[in-house]
Amino acid sequence: MEELLTILNEIQPDVDYLNCDELIDGHYLDSLDILSLVSEMEDAFDITIPTVEIIPDNFNSAQRLWEMIQRLREEG
Amino acid sequence: MLSFSSYFSSGYLAVYLPVCVLLYALAGQRGRRVVLLLFSAVCFWAVSGKLIAYLLLSTLSIHHFGLWLSDVQDRSKAELAAAPKEERKALRARAQTHQRWILALGLSIQFGILLVLKYSPFAVTNLNNLFSALGLSYSLRVPRFLLPIGISFYTMQAASYLFDVYRQKCSADRNLFRLALFLGFFPQVMEGPICRYGQTAHQLWEAPPLRYQNFMLGLQRMSYGLLKKMIIADRLNLLIKNVFTHYENYDGIAIAVAAVCYTIQLYMDFSGTMDLAVGAGQIFGFQLPENFQRPFFSRTIPEFWQRWHITLGTWFKDYIFYPLSMSKPLKKLTSKARKRLGSHYGPLVAGTIALFCVWVCNGLWHGSAWSYLFFGMYHFALILLGNLTQPVTDKLTGALHISRTSLPYRCFQIVRTGLLVCIGELFFRANGLRAGLAMFERMVTASTLEPLRNGTIFQIGMSRKDFFIVALLLGAIFVIGLLQERGIHLGTRLAQALIPVRFVVYYGVILALIIFGAYGDGYVPVDPIYAGF
Repeated sequence: MEELLTILNEIQPDVDYLNCDELIDGHYLDSLDILSLVSEMEDAFDITIPTVEIIPDNFNSAQRLWEMIQRLREEG
Repeated sequence: MLSFSSYFSSGYLAVYLPVCVLLYALAGQRGRRVVLLLFSAVCFWAVSGKLIAYLLLSTLSIHHFGLWLSDVQDRSKAELAAAPKEERKALRARAQTHQRWILALGLSIQFGILLVLKYSPFAVTNLNNLFSALGLSYSLRVPRFLLPIGISFYTMQAASYLFDVYRQKCSADRNLFRLALFLGFFPQVMEGPICRYGQTAHQLWEAPPLRYQNFMLGLQRMSYGLLKKMIIADRLNLLIKNVFTHYENYDGIAIAVAAVCYTIQLYMDFSGTMDLAVGAGQIFGFQLPENFQRPFFSRTIPEFWQRWHITLGTWFKDYIFYPLSMSKPLKKLTSKARKRLGSHYGPLVAGTIALFCVWVCNGLWHGSAWSYLFFGMYHFALILLGNLTQPVTDKLTGALHISRTSLPYRCFQIVRTGLLVCIGELFFRANGLRAGLAMFERMVTASTLEPLRNGTIFQIGMSRKDFFIVALLLGAIFVIGLLQERGIHLGTRLAQALIPVRFVVYYGVILALIIFGAYGDGYVPVDPIYAGF
């Protein structure tokens, strides 16, 4: 989770990632931030994020992102 | 005489919809489904005649491809469960390829029909122009096809269903009638909103009994749409038509006024139609997705496109932008570019490639003409420019100590965005790209304040009284929008108000439509603009 928070803060600082649960719906992250985020997460956690996973529900909070990472890791 | 060509026609509002609501209210659940299905088919037939065959065949095709995808997915799951772990990766890849082929075939049929019917005349005309430019005497016959009403909207909705089944976001529907109702529900089949299967299919099939509260809220929403269309959009048409047809006769300022008027007309026409669609859905108890969220309060062009024709924008984002930018080559590009260009410009490279494709599609979706393509490229350029200059503007506002959240700065951004949108709409409405460029040139180089001073601006088709009525209602719509921006929804409050208050407002709306509606001698109601796309 620490590593994910570091990535998020590098991409878009000034957001309280521990408490914000509307990163997409509240327009804190735009589509370019998502491109960066996906690329960074794939490198850092050795996962492949398919397009179908790119939905607000998975990206609206750091917690939801972390849950997606865990799930994709398990699925291999 | 009663006519039925759009949601604003007397036949639809005075007969078709009331009869449908009445039968729906009288029927049981199964009967209500039949009523909705039957009226959806009749609606399509009333507008497009025998082209209803397209709707029927296309629905059958979508149903078939959905089931085919689903069967392959089920078989693959069973095989994966039984296979040893080391074989699973290869099995998964094989099933994926199989599904991709089915999806491609299903989509090719849908988009193939759209391409042939809507774009082949444009393609052949340009091919002939090319032959002529090359000095060849050879030319092809330009085909002319009748288009089924709302084919562009229908194709997008049908494609989204296939994509969602492929991505396993929803299960394939074995019930042909439920799928047919989702694809052809009459209040949205002509102009959207472009719904996703998960949003509406099951609630439509649920066909809940009619409720007074829903009925009144739906009527209220429809009345609001009628006000926008009949008092503003149709009235503005007089001036717009004159200026855009004979722009060479008018001063630059008149062209600027016409561009602003057309932008307002387009918004009032399309959002008014959406009020009619969402309102009709609400009468039956359905919640259709919203297509507009007060776009003229947007501070930037990207924000504008998040608030204008929302269901089209999200379609492009979900099915073109992300799949492209998340494709392996573009992901690699983002990763490399981020290391070299940093976190802002890095993702911009792949993002721009995907964005370019989105805006080519967006422009051409609106119509097969160079002016529509130009419109798409205009917005692409504005968004790209905004992205490229963002670090500079951030620094500049910081250095000048300008608060980006202050009211004056926000107002400046809103006005700037509005003006840029109006310029884009000038090209969108102009009779061809050449005319658009000539109008823009005239607007920039031949504008004087004379038509405003001597009052000739009021002789182009709209009188002072017309301008006053439009301004009055626009003011009211602005206040309603401002309240909505602050989370205050007058419609819901009105529905909860005392009966006398409610009825004073309802009768006020009816009276306003009768007194100020642009109909009768001298007025020709404009055909719903988006139905043509």
